[in-house]
Amino acid sequence: MIFKNTENRFGIIAIVLHWIMAILMIGLTALGLYMVRVPISLHKLQYYGWHKEWGILVLMLVIVRFTWRLRNQIPALDGLEKWESLAAHAVHWAFYFFMFALPITGWLITSSADLPVSFFGFFTLPNLVSASEANRVLFSTIHEWLGYALIATFCMHSLAALKHHFINKDKIMRRMLWP
Amino acid sequence: MALIRLLVIVFSILLLPTVSIASEWQIVPSKSSIHFKATQNNAPITGEFKTFSGDIDFDKNDLSKSYVNMVVNTDSVSTSFKDVQDALKTADWFDSKAFPKAVFTANDFKKTGDNTFEANGKLTLRDKTLPLILHFTLEKYTDNEALVSGHTNLKRTAFEVGKGEWASTKEIKDDVEVNFTIESTKKLTAEKK
Repeated sequence: MIFKNTENRFGIIAIVLHWIMAILMIGLTALGLYMVRVPISLHKLQYYGWHKEWGILVLMLVIVRFTWRLRNQIPALDGLEKWESLAAHAVHWAFYFFMFALPITGWLITSSADLPVSFFGFFTLPNLVSASEANRVLFSTIHEWLGYALIATFCMHSLAALKHHFINKDKIMRRMLWP
Repeated sequence: MALIRLLVIVFSILLLPTVSIASEWQIVPSKSSIHFKATQNNAPITGEFKTFSGDIDFDKNDLSKSYVNMVVNTDSVSTSFKDVQDALKTADWFDSKAFPKAVFTANDFKKTGDNTFEANGKLTLRDKTLPLILHFTLEKYTDNEALVSGHTNLKRTAFEVGKGEWASTKEIKDDVEVNFTIESTKKLTAEKK
């Protein structure tokens, strides 16, 4: 088992971070799409509470992941066309953008609604901006569209990975499964 | 002799108001506020009541004659996020339609420090009336102006604020902190004495 990435393989740290964040973000997106439709109730409040604290966990993890990425080499995308390799990198950077932008815009929404977030009861996050209904609506719209863009990016990324595994039968997807 | 007795009685009656009236105060709404702080999902949620009125009869040197009756319009509850504000007015919470007023009355005051006091009274919220103690500080106290700041803590479920599923205190805690600032000027009627 290798911890750090090598020239053509991902290390266990990168793989574990990839899958933890994949599960968190899929869950958060599904919960987000569902919770906004629920009428005001105790359940809605619970769902928002979960969405916020797990979303903040994503923000913390992406800092770790981004730092790890900067300190590691990226395994080469062997056997790919130039445009495929460019597309793959663009999608990866788009994910990094979403992993930061979604939690931060979420934090901005809850700040402008003056409903601070508690991180699993350990500590309460400060409000980033003061309360404002206009800003809350603005940040909500941005957060929502970032969410849709994330879903679109997710579809491209996973379809491409599956294509490499089942059609091209190469190692591109498998190397993210085990080091 | 009869005349003198009559004069004494007449003068006593005339003098009576000056002796018995404690200071009556008129609240200055623009400089007064009633805020509350509750806990949702382990984080604070704050709001305020915009409209309230009251009869305050307070004399720091004569607490036995002091009296307060504060009336808060539950419909004036305000939070930054409008959905929360609207929810708080519904039947499960303050039920502003059925219970438009929350009332605090007290006539039992205690001095607890140089400028700090306690008011032992009763709060009526919805259809529940329970004892409540306010702790307050006289920030300013002159012949015609007074500024009071204070706080109290209460259990929302004791007043059935948050009924049905909302009675669960896991998501929204039972403890609510109320902070108030009341600025008042002396009423003209009291000055006439």
